[in-house]
Amino acid sequence: MNSLWWLALTTLLLPIWWHRKKRVQVAAEPLASARFLPRTEPRQMRVWRWADVVLLIVRCLLLACLVAWLADPVLPWRGNTVIVAEGTDARWTEQQVQAAGFKDAARLTLPAGAALNWVRAHEREWKPEARLLVLGDIPMPAAVPRFRHALALRTLAKPAAPSEVRVAIGGARAGEWRRMFAALDGPLRVVIEDAPSAKTELIVWDQPGAPPASLRAPLWWAADAAAFPELAKAPGVDGIRYADSARGRVWTSSAWPPADPAAARRLLETWRSLHYAPLPYTAPVRSFAAQANAPVPATAHADGALRDFLMMALAALFALERILTHARRR
Amino acid sequence: MASRLTSAALVAHTTRLELVVRHVLAGLGQGIHAGRERGSGVEFSEYRAYAPGDEWRRVDWKLLARADRYYVREAERDSHVALWLVLDASASMMEPSRSIPGLDKLAYARTLLACVAAIAQRQGDAFGLVVLSGGRVQFTPAARGPRQLQRVLARLDAAQAEGALPDAAALKSGLRFAGAPALVFAASDFLDFPSPLSEALLRLRHMRHDVRLACIQTEAECTGGFDAGPAYRDPEADDGVFRFGADLREGYLRKREAHFAAVTAACRAADVPLVDARIEQAPGEVLRMWLRQAGRR
Repeated sequence: MNSLWWLALTTLLLPIWWHRKKRVQVAAEPLASARFLPRTEPRQMRVWRWADVVLLIVRCLLLACLVAWLADPVLPWRGNTVIVAEGTDARWTEQQVQAAGFKDAARLTLPAGAALNWVRAHEREWKPEARLLVLGDIPMPAAVPRFRHALALRTLAKPAAPSEVRVAIGGARAGEWRRMFAALDGPLRVVIEDAPSAKTELIVWDQPGAPPASLRAPLWWAADAAAFPELAKAPGVDGIRYADSARGRVWTSSAWPPADPAAARRLLETWRSLHYAPLPYTAPVRSFAAQANAPVPATAHADGALRDFLMMALAALFALERILTHARRR
Repeated sequence: MASRLTSAALVAHTTRLELVVRHVLAGLGQGIHAGRERGSGVEFSEYRAYAPGDEWRRVDWKLLARADRYYVREAERDSHVALWLVLDASASMMEPSRSIPGLDKLAYARTLLACVAAIAQRQGDAFGLVVLSGGRVQFTPAARGPRQLQRVLARLDAAQAEGALPDAAALKSGLRFAGAPALVFAASDFLDFPSPLSEALLRLRHMRHDVRLACIQTEAECTGGFDAGPAYRDPEADDGVFRFGADLREGYLRKREAHFAAVTAACRAADVPLVDARIEQAPGEVLRMWLRQAGRR
């Protein structure tokens, strides 16, 4: 798409056309006895001549620069490359590199989640014959990506790092709530606090009376809806009503604390899916063939692009053109 | 035809006026002299050192044998006729011949006047030169002898066709000749007529000087044989552009004939002989005509 901008180079004809001057010339030979001849209008000769050649050149360069800036050319400079996701096992990486024959290839370390997108965005930096090898715990993208270069994806699933969630529980039925949270499995680890702190992400408010106004948390579970006046007309989904208050988001349900394991699992699952990002699914091992017509994201800004240089040249040429035009009018 | 071409071509191709003069006069032969004055004279007056251009027969050989130097016998003159050469070197005289490359009116007029000067020198007459160029009058006083010839030839050679003719006042002061009877040879294209020059020349005639005019023309001017392609301008007046074509030849010739009829009539009325000289003609023929008219008088 960008290369279509090169067609705009035809605009260079405009200054060339504007700068040409049709010179009227009278080519009259001296003739002593011209007085005996009838007078006539001076004959005009059309001569192509370009006025202000320096200004013309500057203007042409300016236009060419602008077109080049829009076309955004990139000089390919990367060869065979191994892209390793951050935190990948070094020994496994070496093994894979040896097996794939990328011994002399350059190495790039990227965050696992952004690796494939980065490759797509920067694909113009690679020479046409370059091959790529992506290693690590790369999450599977939603759609099958297409690349202009041959790309081998070798993944190694890594156990997800556990993350702590601080939960404060208040009220008489704290024991039931504790049991429910203790049954939670997965990478989410719940730390029960007696009193809410600044890091508390969930407060279970299972007691009558409103909480103190200064107490804030991202999420409240209120067993008694009367404590939160915002819940009076709150909409509900699947038995849970929700509202946003000055203290944070409040959920309530008349069936709390959950009495059976199924209800408890459903509540915990709802909580985790709504408040915590899903764990990425490691992509399967796969080789992507080179596709010459694979699209490059329109906003991609590749390293090695001439964009910055062209922008500077554009600014300099623009200033020069203004100065020359001004000097010419003088 | 061949000799005519060689003669005219010689004018075009040599820059040495002396050579041309010698060539033309050699072709002319004897018999053009008026006969009143034979250069060597009768009455011996004095000896003078030899100068290049002196005739060998006037060298005193006995004195050479005695003194081992060349001396020339100068004779007493009974003639007081001075000869004046008037050269019109205005810009219109730059008009080239359209058939012989390198030949123009000025070169031709220059040759004619140089020949007249050489003849005058041979006859022992005093001669002077007036060059009218760029609005000025360049005056060379009349004198005799080979050195004067060299001087006049150099002046003729140096003349450049430029500008217009001088005005009446400049001509009046420039053409003030002595009271003695004089011969005036004037070469011009007479495209301006009447003009300060023509008036001055006719006035000289009225003062009983012998005035002879040569009207220098080109073949193309006489027949209207110009190229129809380019536009033309008057070299002396910056007053626009003129064009020529086959359809305009008739009108051109009519106007030109009317003009020169007026010139001829004015000359005849003043009893001034006028020779039409086409620069493609051999200079010898024209010169013979010019001088013959003089002899007839």
